Amino acid sequence: MDELLAVLGYKVRSSDMADVAQKLEQLEMAMGTAQDDGISHLACDTIHYNPSDLSGWVDSMLSEFTNPPPPSAADPTAVLHNNSHSAGGNGGGESHKSAVFRDDSEYDLRAIPGVAAYPQADESDKDSCRKRMKTSAGGSSNSAAVSSPSSSSSPPPPIAAAAAPSSALIAEPTRPVVLIDSQEAGVRLVHTLLACAEAVQQDNVKLADALVKHTGLLAASQTGAMRKVATYFAEALARRIYKIYPQDCLDPSYSDTLEMHFYETCPYLKFAHFTANQAILEAFATANRVHVIDFGLKQGMQWPALMQALALRPGGPPAFRLTGIGPPQPNNTDNLQQVGWKLAHLAETIGVEFEFRGFVANSLADLEPEMLDLRPADVEAVAVNSVFELHRLLGRSAGMDKVLSTIKAMKPKIVTVVEQEANHNGPVFVDRFTEALHYYSSLFDSLEGSAASPSSPTTASQDLVMSELYLGRQICNVVACEGGDRVERHETLTQWRARMESAGFDPVHLGSNAYKQASMLLALFAGGDGYRVEENNGALMLGWHTRPLIATSAWQLAR
Amino acid sequence: MAGDNEVNLNESKRVVPLNTWVLISNFKLAYNLLRRPDGSFNRDLAEFLDRKLPANTNPVDGVFSFDHLDRSTGLLNRVYRPESQLGPPTAPIDLENPLSTTAVVPVIVFFHGGSFTHSSAGSAIYDTFCRRLVPLCGGAVVVSVNYRRSPENRYPCAYDDGWAALKWVKSRPWLRSGKDRNSSDVHVYLAGDSSGGNIAHHVAVKAAEAGISILGNILLHPMFGGEARTESEKRLDGKYFVTVQDRDWYWRAFLPEGESRDHPACNVFGPRSKNLEGMKLPKSLVVVAGLDLIQDWQLAYVEGMERTGNQVKLIFLQDATIGFYFLPNNQHFHCLMEEIKNFVSAA
Repeated sequence: MDELLAVLGYKVRSSDMADVAQKLEQLEMAMGTAQDDGISHLACDTIHYNPSDLSGWVDSMLSEFTNPPPPSAADPTAVLHNNSHSAGGNGGGESHKSAVFRDDSEYDLRAIPGVAAYPQADESDKDSCRKRMKTSAGGSSNSAAVSSPSSSSSPPPPIAAAAAPSSALIAEPTRPVVLIDSQEAGVRLVHTLLACAEAVQQDNVKLADALVKHTGLLAASQTGAMRKVATYFAEALARRIYKIYPQDCLDPSYSDTLEMHFYETCPYLKFAHFTANQAILEAFATANRVHVIDFGLKQGMQWPALMQALALRPGGPPAFRLTGIGPPQPNNTDNLQQVGWKLAHLAETIGVEFEFRGFVANSLADLEPEMLDLRPADVEAVAVNSVFELHRLLGRSAGMDKVLSTIKAMKPKIVTVVEQEANHNGPVFVDRFTEALHYYSSLFDSLEGSAASPSSPTTASQDLVMSELYLGRQICNVVACEGGDRVERHETLTQWRARMESAGFDPVHLGSNAYKQASMLLALFAGGDGYRVEENNGALMLGWHTRPLIATSAWQLAR
Repeated sequence: MAGDNEVNLNESKRVVPLNTWVLISNFKLAYNLLRRPDGSFNRDLAEFLDRKLPANTNPVDGVFSFDHLDRSTGLLNRVYRPESQLGPPTAPIDLENPLSTTAVVPVIVFFHGGSFTHSSAGSAIYDTFCRRLVPLCGGAVVVSVNYRRSPENRYPCAYDDGWAALKWVKSRPWLRSGKDRNSSDVHVYLAGDSSGGNIAHHVAVKAAEAGISILGNILLHPMFGGEARTESEKRLDGKYFVTVQDRDWYWRAFLPEGESRDHPACNVFGPRSKNLEGMKLPKSLVVVAGLDLIQDWQLAYVEGMERTGNQVKLIFLQDATIGFYFLPNNQHFHCLMEEIKNFVSAA
């Protein structure tokens, strides 16, 4: 890998440099001979993937010229261009059809959640699948090249993770921090919290006790997000010091309720669902029967949008089977079935053949592929979906490995993974604490901005409080719990990538269409300004200003 | 035309290392896609393509960074500081103490380039560049400004943001330094490449008018222009990654609608510009790349500064192209670094 370019975000092998340069020249020639308008389709219609894979990007641009989507004579949207660059000898009025030029701004406004964009023609669909496969193959062969350390900021993936405990996998070195001006005033508070964490780590109970009380005082003089975050962290520290561990969240309906409010208040879950659904839709594009296995069904909020999109598929919807997995319920209420019924009802109204199965499991590691009534891959395409579920397995050794094998045994067409973009699973308590403090500070800051609907202020503030509680429980778990109780073991995309790749998965890249639609989704639904979607080597991240907070990645079985 | 193109491609390839050529050509072609003939800009695709780096409070090569957001203005700045000699890596960002009470520590306010339209403080090319400046200038602090870009935000937004950033920097107690308690101040240099250089100039002028002290201006192939077509524009059009046509597009996107390039933002010593005589502008270091098609405007700028009694040092790098400072693989890069180092350390 060329190290200098790698630092700047471009992965090009030194041995490929001349080849890439030549292709850039070809691309320039091709762009030069097309008119200005003639290349606009490259920006509008073409889906771009993983710009870090420079070679792949240039290839895909070039293929637009050698394999342009065929203009259809009957298509009223085909635009005829006069090539004013045509040599004088051709005579005036010489025109040639360019590729179909869509004004995509109108089109994309229809990609409001509930309707994911479909590639227009099967042709371009296959093309984009090919492109994605091609670039992802490029991506995975990079990791196969492996072990040559590139820049200091990207650690090499492990070759054999069998013996290594998962926490030894790449300690993520980056700690992005966005300070909001109020935090300048809260600097002493942050200082005290960190000092307290340090004291806890050193088992200096007396000092920790004094500091946690002092934190309470300081927090009281703060306002807004800083105050709330500090309060939650102080409480979590107190629990750890006094060993009053939080009641394990054995009431899933309560946490589901909190999550619903979180879903309403801010765009993180919507983004997670939207981007995962986009990847699933694209993977299901040609299938007649599809099966989604949802590792954490909860209230099933992700699925109406997918079902609506399937219903609108050109050529009609596939048969849709959903398997929802959930934890045991306290009163033996069958939450899963209730959700299943609601979705079945929706499916009926929109005309999608629907089948549902619920599975209760204490842990995803209890799942066996035989339980799922899997059908042959040529009959039914499978998607495995995990939104904020996989990290919970990291507390048990071999739990993750088991689940990853089980996923492979399901022979999925696609695996969608959404996780918090943070390392809250490091071995050193103070590091974990500091990471979490910065992470949740950004999250809480973003909530301050986006206190939802102005039409109903009481609902808005209730949503906000519930959302904060939802996050507060996570904070408590990260800070106060250990061992099997500590389930919020978030790790970063870099860490997940290494894990997935060494387990035998290849990345499937999310493209510029998903990016653009996610951005539009944010503009429509996010109350606050400041949410940003970022492309990262084929994955998409949602963050608050420059701090990425959640990451969606997609995977397929390695060849 | 096609034939010309071929010659052009070969020429630029001859004067820069291959990986530099790949980098800048990639930008060039991607940017061609993003600019629409009607003057609008494909911002979504631009953001998708832009390679970014996060701030990082963990020191890397002795430098750590964090972002600061001013809620009231929405302005984000990225602050780069040398690794603290004291305290563990998990120590909080010190926002209480001055940088030093025994020495002057320069604070370089940096405006990234991108012709007012592209890039951000978080773009990998600029994050990397700013990181270099910290140890280069003896442990200086760098503040990279995420100013609003055109065409969504035209003149004077970028200048307003630059001005707001300067005021913010000047008012941070934790950016002060001095040989003793009495001479504590925030010691600022302004710097920028391309459009950033243009912004640095205009912010310096405003600072001079307001009596705010700036120690120096560093302008790296600053973006200036005018209605006239200069000799260098004609001679170098399209030859080294840049065309007159794209320059025109970016000015049209930045300047108020309907304005000409003789607008004082663009043509700083032109017919409509302010008289800078007697302004006591800070000393300037102006770096001109010999293969930059707008060099005549930059040289005219230098001449204009001299003529109006302002101290300016010109570094003319004969066969440098634009963007030579992105990769440390050529002599111009090292020459530039040396010049910046000397400029900032000279009292």
